[in-house]
Amino acid sequence: MEIKIMKNILDRNQNKAGEIREMMKENGVCMINFISSPGAGKTTLLERICEKLAGKYSTGVIEGDVTTDRDARRLMRFNIPIVVINTEGGCHLDSHSISKALVHFDLKKTNLLLVENVGNLICPASFDLGESFRLAVVSTTEGDDKPAKYPMVFRQAKALVLNKTDLIPYTNFNMESFRKDLRKLNSSLPLFRVSATKGEGINEFCLWLDEQIKYHIKPAG
Amino acid sequence: MVSFQDFSCPEYVKYIKMHELAIAENLVNIVKDVADGEKLSKVTKVTVCFGTMVQVVPDLFETAFRAAVDGTLACDALLDIETIPLRLRCNACNTVSEPDEYCFLCSKCGSADIEIETGRELFVKSIEGE
Repeated sequence: MEIKIMKNILDRNQNKAGEIREMMKENGVCMINFISSPGAGKTTLLERICEKLAGKYSTGVIEGDVTTDRDARRLMRFNIPIVVINTEGGCHLDSHSISKALVHFDLKKTNLLLVENVGNLICPASFDLGESFRLAVVSTTEGDDKPAKYPMVFRQAKALVLNKTDLIPYTNFNMESFRKDLRKLNSSLPLFRVSATKGEGINEFCLWLDEQIKYHIKPAG
Repeated sequence: MVSFQDFSCPEYVKYIKMHELAIAENLVNIVKDVADGEKLSKVTKVTVCFGTMVQVVPDLFETAFRAAVDGTLACDALLDIETIPLRLRCNACNTVSEPDEYCFLCSKCGSADIEIETGRELFVKSIEGE
């Protein structure tokens, strides 16, 4: 006997993500899901964002990490609530792990929730966390072919941060070829070139981010 | 709701899930629910559809599926993976194309105003059982 099902396998994740998205809207929280490969510079970028925006918005951080709390410890100087999700080998966060982390936040007093996903460009793309939007981060030292190899992340992202631009002279990163691939994937994707360690390009990126946050924390209706 | 008393130490949540395994476990839960609802004693075949954009590796998924069905009524089920190609429809000239590489521009007129018709699927199509 054959039984037709035609159901999304990640239905359960999707449903929980939907609940989280509603909860964020009700509380006026902008939740951003940062996706990149390991070592692209997400945590350093979060440090720069916290310097610029944690004073303006009541900010919290969820740090997804395979193991250790090193990333979280780097952000502790901002004196903001941080929850570490250790996946012990798991390669992505999902909406149920986010839901467990959220009980530690006072969402009524939170405007901005920065979620650092586990470093990985494939798995996190399939798992909706209930975020307001996704940001993709790639670094010049990874090579210029990341968008072509991992299309899903770059199709879904609201913007792309190209990090470590100060290192371009020491790599074979080809900006022309990078931009050409991006045009094929997502021609309207905003691209911010930054060096998170040097602070270059951070102002422009944070101005844009500030606009997005303002839009998402507006009370519903 | 627990709120932070002080921020001198992060809070910790442990949560373990692999990609292919997470998908396989979700699949098996759906299969079990449907089989229970249909009063099947045994599931003999599970058919899933994966779009190429989801980048699930079939061999890895087979392994994860075997681990996830172990000890369930679907433990001997055949797994059939249908791969669905990326198919785009252009909103400007209505051309439908199946690009070989990940290019989201119309193959005819070059417009970026396209819809992804297929290629993002991650669903369970059907099961067979007795």
